[in-house]
Order: sequence, then structure tokens, then C-alpha cells
Amino acid sequence: METTSTLEKTLRLLALTLVVIFFMFPIVWIFLMSFQTNETILRIPPQVIFEPTLSNYTALITGKLTSAAGTLDIAFMKNLGNSVFLSVTSVALALVLGVPAAYAFARHKFKGSEDIAFTLLSFRFAPPLLVLLPLTQYFQWLGLANTYIGLIWVYQLICLPLILWIVRGYFEDISADVEYAYRIAGHSWFATFRRIALPLAGPGIAAAGLLAFIFAWNNFVFALVLASADKQPVTVGALAFVTSSGIQYGQIAAAIVLSVTPTLALALYAQRYLVEGLSLGAVKG
Amino acid sequence: MSGAGLQIKGVDKFYGPVDYGVHAVKKLSMTIEKGEIVALLGSSGCGKTSTLRMIAGFEAVSRGQISLAGREVHTFAPVKRNVAMAFEGYSLYPPLTVRENIAFALKASRLPQNVVDEKVAYIAKLLEIEDILGRYPSSISGGQQQRASLGRALIRDADLHLLDEPMGQLEPQLRAVLRGRIKHYIKEKGLTAILVTHDQTEANALADRIAVMEGGVLQQFDTPQMIKERPANLFTGTFVGEPPMNVFDATVTVSADTAVFGLNEGVRLEYAVSDFSPAVLAELRNRKKVSLGIRPYAVRRAEGGVPAKVSVSQWLGDQTHIAADFAGGTMVLVEHDRVRLGLGDTIALKLDPHSLHVFDGETGVAVSHGPELA
Amino acid sequence: MTTLQLENIVKRYKNHTVLDNLSLDVKDGETLVLFGPSGAGKTVLLRLVAGVIDPEEGRILIGGEDMTDVDAEHRGIGMAFQNFALFPHMDAFENIATPLEAKRSSADAIKAGVHRVAKLLKIDHVLTHRPKALSNGQKQRTALARALAGSPPLLLLDDPLRNVDAKLRFEMRLELPRVLAAQGATVVYVTQDYKEAMALGDRIAVMSDGRIRQIGTPEDIYNAPADIDIARLFGDPTINLLDVTPNAEVDGVSVLLSDVRIVLPGIPANTAGKSCVIGLRPEALRFVPAGTPGAIPVSVEAETPLNEKTVTLALTVRGREILVSRPAGTPGPASGSAHIAVDCASAFLFDKETGALIARHGSHTGTQGEAA
Repeated sequence: METTSTLEKTLRLLALTLVVIFFMFPIVWIFLMSFQTNETILRIPPQVIFEPTLSNYTALITGKLTSAAGTLDIAFMKNLGNSVFLSVTSVALALVLGVPAAYAFARHKFKGSEDIAFTLLSFRFAPPLLVLLPLTQYFQWLGLANTYIGLIWVYQLICLPLILWIVRGYFEDISADVEYAYRIAGHSWFATFRRIALPLAGPGIAAAGLLAFIFAWNNFVFALVLASADKQPVTVGALAFVTSSGIQYGQIAAAIVLSVTPTLALALYAQRYLVEGLSLGAVKG
Repeated sequence: MSGAGLQIKGVDKFYGPVDYGVHAVKKLSMTIEKGEIVALLGSSGCGKTSTLRMIAGFEAVSRGQISLAGREVHTFAPVKRNVAMAFEGYSLYPPLTVRENIAFALKASRLPQNVVDEKVAYIAKLLEIEDILGRYPSSISGGQQQRASLGRALIRDADLHLLDEPMGQLEPQLRAVLRGRIKHYIKEKGLTAILVTHDQTEANALADRIAVMEGGVLQQFDTPQMIKERPANLFTGTFVGEPPMNVFDATVTVSADTAVFGLNEGVRLEYAVSDFSPAVLAELRNRKKVSLGIRPYAVRRAEGGVPAKVSVSQWLGDQTHIAADFAGGTMVLVEHDRVRLGLGDTIALKLDPHSLHVFDGETGVAVSHGPELA
Repeated sequence: MTTLQLENIVKRYKNHTVLDNLSLDVKDGETLVLFGPSGAGKTVLLRLVAGVIDPEEGRILIGGEDMTDVDAEHRGIGMAFQNFALFPHMDAFENIATPLEAKRSSADAIKAGVHRVAKLLKIDHVLTHRPKALSNGQKQRTALARALAGSPPLLLLDDPLRNVDAKLRFEMRLELPRVLAAQGATVVYVTQDYKEAMALGDRIAVMSDGRIRQIGTPEDIYNAPADIDIARLFGDPTINLLDVTPNAEVDGVSVLLSDVRIVLPGIPANTAGKSCVIGLRPEALRFVPAGTPGAIPVSVEAETPLNEKTVTLALTVRGREILVSRPAGTPGPASGSAHIAVDCASAFLFDKETGALIARHGSHTGTQGEAA
């Protein structure tokens, strides 16, 4: 029944440990790599004990990459800034556009509403490269190629459907009666949206925003094709480490650590609120 | 000891470590005779469901023993206990029809097909599910699912039938008749049954004896009539009975020839000492504060009673429920016929000494019922 | 106080007609109970009046004014929902204050208004709690307080006692008339519980399948149900319904029950030979000693106490089930054979085919309270 033997407990612990090691290994390994020089990384057999160095990080921050072949200028910090700017603005715009739209789709069933909502989602189905080729043409005509505005616009393809569909679900989960009650109490539909629907869907909106942010941050193809060096985010910028004289594993690892940190921090910070908020959302009425 | 029924001896249930976890059932002991219908009655969290699950074998007994039909079963797996159960959530097998669901319970007994068919037909007629025997659980209403689930439990020949909230979802128009039929069926076949319910109407209607539970502790285990007439404490007194018992705080003074209960707002109820037995009078003398209880149907309207102002009078077709402001509280009366009273009318209320229940003011333990000691 | 008129309301969802050309008049200051089984359209009707959904056809008049196209927030209605529909992110005070805020009342007025209804509903001590921290009963009272706070002339209560336990429901049933009287509003009250309907309604409108089947005072409906379905909906235990074929005889029309001939005075002779159903309320049947004239023999199957009554399931000699109820504590047989006297004056006769009430003789008013 509910009593478990010591053997069972030990086996369970062992299985869990294996799973954790399996999933954590690459991350830990990259973290360790970021404190090593290329030579120590490429040594065979690999060594777990090494002399840590911050050279990779200094190189990234100063923008001067010194290798056997000479010194190379890299714009990693600029790229990081681009990533932050592009992701934040895209998500903000997607929220401003997507949340009211999600509310409309959730609350007002009109003829074709499902079709429109589905069409918006279907943007996520198409392979990005398929969209990209004609888009590049258009953007060049319109003068949007290699502009932040153009990039943010294209990023809506990633963020908007995500936010629309997730937030819509949250709005649908709010009992319509709760909103009716506020309307009947004498408040306009807009007041109801602002004071009832928005706060109650808050955790959902935050979750959707976070997810959209991660997707935007990790995007590669759109930026690769549509942005030149000064507008590139880190994902594209990391290509610079593949130099003619070899691949700079140490710097790549350091770059990964730096670029993962913001999303990781954001997710950890938001997690608390998400859990708290989700349980609030579960109280219907 | 008959040995054929169910015996629960000193059973404790802890969720979490024994002695430190949540103590859900406390030192529960009760004996249920073969052929008896017992109701475990209590509100949610009172320990009744934990008790049921321990009897069925879904939950380990932390301490104590359970024996059924002479066998100590508390260490057995559920399937070995020979217990039939109707679940609160019905738990019908979705891919089987109602007929197959009910017949499934007879699989283990390896009866010939025609006997199975006969039994299913009989129980289906009893529960009025003949016309849905061919349907699947997902396509029938909640009430019908509940009846199917009841049928699956009742058709078995088990040492014990456990019915968890068996009638909560039944259609109100069917309830009275089904209660009668099910009770007749159980009695006729001599089945032993425990029903777990929070609905005292159900418990009163079906059970030979009711076990009232609260806070994991068995409060009283007696016939419905005794629980109504001689509640062991204030909890049982107010929990069982619909409408619930009227309760007022009172001081008590016993003199040479009168016993006087002083209620709020200067209401005095004076009785002759001859209305109570000497033992009761002695108990009353020992106390200053008591709780005075009287059942709504025992309150009489009579000349010379305490005046009370009617706050509401509701005719329900076969009964009239009246509420009146009395001693700073509300007194509820039930009359079995139509009474026409308006809001604010004054009525005179008599509380006969033989229908008074006195409870200790602090512990709530019953002191006396009418003239006799509790 | 105000009046409410519904004129030829039609409401459809896809191909399903929820309300079928329904008209209803609610008088100034009355409490009208909409009673019926689930799926009858009661809640939809209430929502139409509240203005959160729109009818396909028909007009809604509040206080004589056409409100059909007026937004919910401008109809001046208070409403309580079955699932309470409290705002989970606001405490009880803020919840109750929402109708007052909408009126742009001053902070003092809001405070006074909230405390007035909180006191009326005895929840002044939990005003700082969020819904999550309230007990079920307190939630239900908070929801009612919110509906009352704006002193709306028209109050819509959608089965407000559905989700509280039996004890609280009973308590509230006794308390509601006082609360509603203090409020002085016209009330439309939806319920599935016939006791609530009879206890609270000045009039009851019985609904099923999107139509109103009968409307009248509790007496009208209990003592003269328009058809079998309505008769079955009122009364606990449910009314006994037995197939009979009346016979015309010299002393009137008679039916056979348990092979005993029972004369029903006042029933028209043209019912003779027709397939009918006789309706006998369990409380209109009594156990009597054998040999009593007109008593029918039965065998007692089981005795099931119900509240302050004892309900007995008995079988007639033809094996038909009959429920008999009597006040608890009065003597009666617990098993074996027994005899039942039928109070012909409170028997109903229905047409088996249409279900409609054919005729009923006499009146079933019981003893008058003043005499007791």
C-alpha cells in the first residue's frame, strides 16, 4: 500500500539522479568551458580539473578577441544589447496588440472568429525560410530591411500568435459570470476589461509574455537574413566566433552563458508569480 | 460477538507519520451486525471517508484492527476483502454499457449467463434503469450513472456493501421511492451495508443505526430515533434534525419547588421541580450555564407561553415553517399543516419540559433529555 | 420597486430554442419565483433581463420603459449568481462596493452603503477577507450583499442558495424574506427547489422547455397543478400517480384502487372509460384500522423517515407502489399488511394522454393556523 521499502526508495533516487545528470550535463559542461582556454578545451582526454580563466569573458566585454591568428573585433556586447532591445520591444508590441485581440476572441464569438484566430496561429506553421524570401524583397522595396522597425515587425510573427492563443485561453477560463456581475453592477465593458479581465488573466499574460520573450530571444533565421552586423542579436552574432583560424569554443561558451542568463533570470523571477497567480486564477468566483 | 458482521477496533488513521501526521480518524471502535444498515454521517473532513477507505482497503490502517465476517481484513488487498462498493464518482467503466457494467460485478462468481441476465434485469427494474441498459456511461445523466453504479454494487453477494454518497445525484422525484425500494432490497437479501453521507435525510431514511462523526471522533452511534431524542452532545443535537434544533444559552437556578432557565432579553422559563428527575435537578444545581435545546416540531403555540414575534412563516405544502424572534435569537417551529401568520404577528410559545434538551454550557455534553438524565 | 414585463421573448442557440415566445409580468414589489428543472431556460431568462445576452425577438420593459437594447450597466439591476461570481482579486468590501463605485458615490457613501448591507446579511466581520478566505456561506452572503448594495429597484437572484449546504440553505430561506423586505425591491428568484419556491414566492412561474407552464400563488400550484409534470415537481415525497379508468355509477365517478371501489365526488361523468391517472399526495393518505369504509389494503415494503415525517413505501394488491407520509412520532405499521384511507377531496385526476388536470373536487387548505 502506501509504505515503500528502502530498496524502492533507493532505486527511485538513483533513477532521478540519472535523469538530472543527463539533462544538466550539457549546461554544466558549457559553464565549465566558458572558464577555459581553447587549448584546455580541446585537450584529449578532457580534463575536469583545470585552471579557470576569465579571458573569454574579458574578450567578450572588451570586444577584442585575441587568438593565434591575431586580434579580431567582435560586437558581442552590441549584439546583446540588440537582443534585449528587439525582444523587449517585440513582446511589448505583441502584448499591446495581442491581449485585447485575445479578449475579443475569447468573449465575442462572431461568424468566422475561429477562422481568423486559426489563421493567426497558422503563421507559426509555415517554415520561416518560406516566408523570408519574399519578405526580404518586400522589405527592400519598403526600405524596412536592416531596420529595427522591420525586425520588430517580423518578430510579431513569432510573438503575436503565441500571446494571442495563450492569453485567449486564460480569458476563457475566467467565468463569464464574474464579468457579467461587474457589468450589471453598473460598469462599462472597458472598465470590466481593465479591472476584472486584465487582473485575473495577469498571470497568464505574464506567462505568455515570458514565453514570447524566450522565443524572440532565441530567434535566428529572421535576424540572420534581415539584419546586418549592427542590428544583429546574439544568436546571429555568435557566428563571428567561427573564424578562419578555427572555432573559438571558449568564447562561444562564455557567450552562451551570458546570453542565457537574462532569460533564465527572468524565468526564475517570474516563476514565483506564475505559480501564485495560477492558483488565484483557479478560484472561479 | 456474532463474528459475522464488521468489527472496527481502536482504529487510528494518520496521514503522514504515525502520531505526528494529520490525525484523520481517532480511536474508532464500532461493531456492525450482519444484516444491518449503518450510516456514517458527518460533514466533509470529519473522517467518514477515511474510515470507508480503510474498510475498503484503499487506505492503510495506522493502528487498530478491522475484521469482517470473522476474518481480520485490515491487511488484505481490497480485492480479497469481499466488499462491494458504490463510488461517489460512480467510476463506471466507460467502454462498457450499463448492462455490462452491472454484470461485470458478477464475473468473479462465474454464474451461468441466464442467472446473470436475470439478476441484472431485476436490479435494473428496481433502480429504473431498464431502458438505458444498452447505453454507455458517457451518454446518460448523472442521476442515471449513480443508479447504475448503485446497481453494480448491490447486485453482488458480498460480506459488506459500502455505498459512498449513494443518492446525492438522484432525481428528486425518484428519491423517496428508490429509498424505499433499496431499503427493502437490502433487508430482504440480508445484506450488510455502510453508507457514507453528509446528508442526514439519506442517513435517517435508510439506516438502522447512524454513526455521527466529527473531527475524526465518533460522536454517537445509535438508532435515528435515539439520536433525535437523546443526542449525546450539542454537535449531534444540532447536526441531525431538519430543521436543526433550536439552541439558546441559558443560566439555570434550581430552588425548592422551581427550576428556572434564564435566557437572553429577560426570557424566563419556569418549571416545577417535579418536571425533572432528582438526578437531573442535582446535575442542574451543579451548573450555572447551560445550552437549552428544543426541536422545531416540539415547540408549541399555546396560551400563556412566552410571546415571540413572527419573522417569517413559510408554507411548503405539507408543513409550515415558522421563525420567530425569541430571547435575542430565532426560534424555528414546524407545524404539519397550513398556518397563516403574518410578518410581525405575536405568538405565544410553550417549551414543554419533556421536550427540553439540556447541554453543558462549556463542553456541550448532554445533561438531560426531558425529565431524564442523558 | 419597479415592474418587469417580458413580451414574446424568443431566444435561440444555434438551432435550439431556449425561450419560446415567452411573456411574463412581474408586479411592483412582488417576489416572483421562476421554478423548473435544469435546462428549462430560467437562467437564460434572467440573463436576458440583466442585459448580458440579447433576445432574438421580443421586448423587455423595466418600469414600463423598453430596455431591450439598453446595455447591462444602465438597466439599474442587482443580480446574484448561482456560483457567486465574486471578484477573486478584491476583498469582500471591494466586492460589495462595486455597484456603489459605478454610481460615483463618495467614499463615505460607499462605506455607509457597504456597511448597511453587510450588517443586514451579517458579514460585517469578514469585509477585509478575499473570497478565497471566506466560507461557502459567507461567499454566498457577500454575493447577495453585492447585489443589494446599489439598492436596485429590480433584483435578480439566480439560484443563490444552490451551492451552500442544507443547513445554511435552510437558515437563509428563513432569513431572505426579512432581507428582501428591508430592501423593498421587485425580485425575480430562480430556483430548482420547490420548497424554496413555495417559501419565498408571492407567485411561482413553473417553467419547462423554454415556456411557462403555470403561474400562480404557491396555493394555486400545490392545490391545483395544471398537469402531471407540475404535480410531480411539487412535494416531497413525490405525489403518487396511478393509472386508473373511471367508472360512471349512480353515486358519481369511481376508480378502483387495490381492488377497492373509491368514489370521487365532483368528477364529471364524461371521464368514464377514459385512461386517467390519479394523483394522491403522500400526506393525503392515512393508515387506518382494517374494516374502515373505503380503506384500501396494502402491504408495507419499507419505512424511510424523512425530516419530521415518516414515509412508508407500500404495495397495493396489484403490486403498485404507494408512498404514505405521516408526521414523525405518530403510530403506523412498519411492515406486513395494512390499510390506507384515501382523502378523496385532495385527489387529482389527470388525463393520461395529455397529462392535463381534469378535475379536482373540494379544496385542500388544511387546518387554519388561527384555529390551532
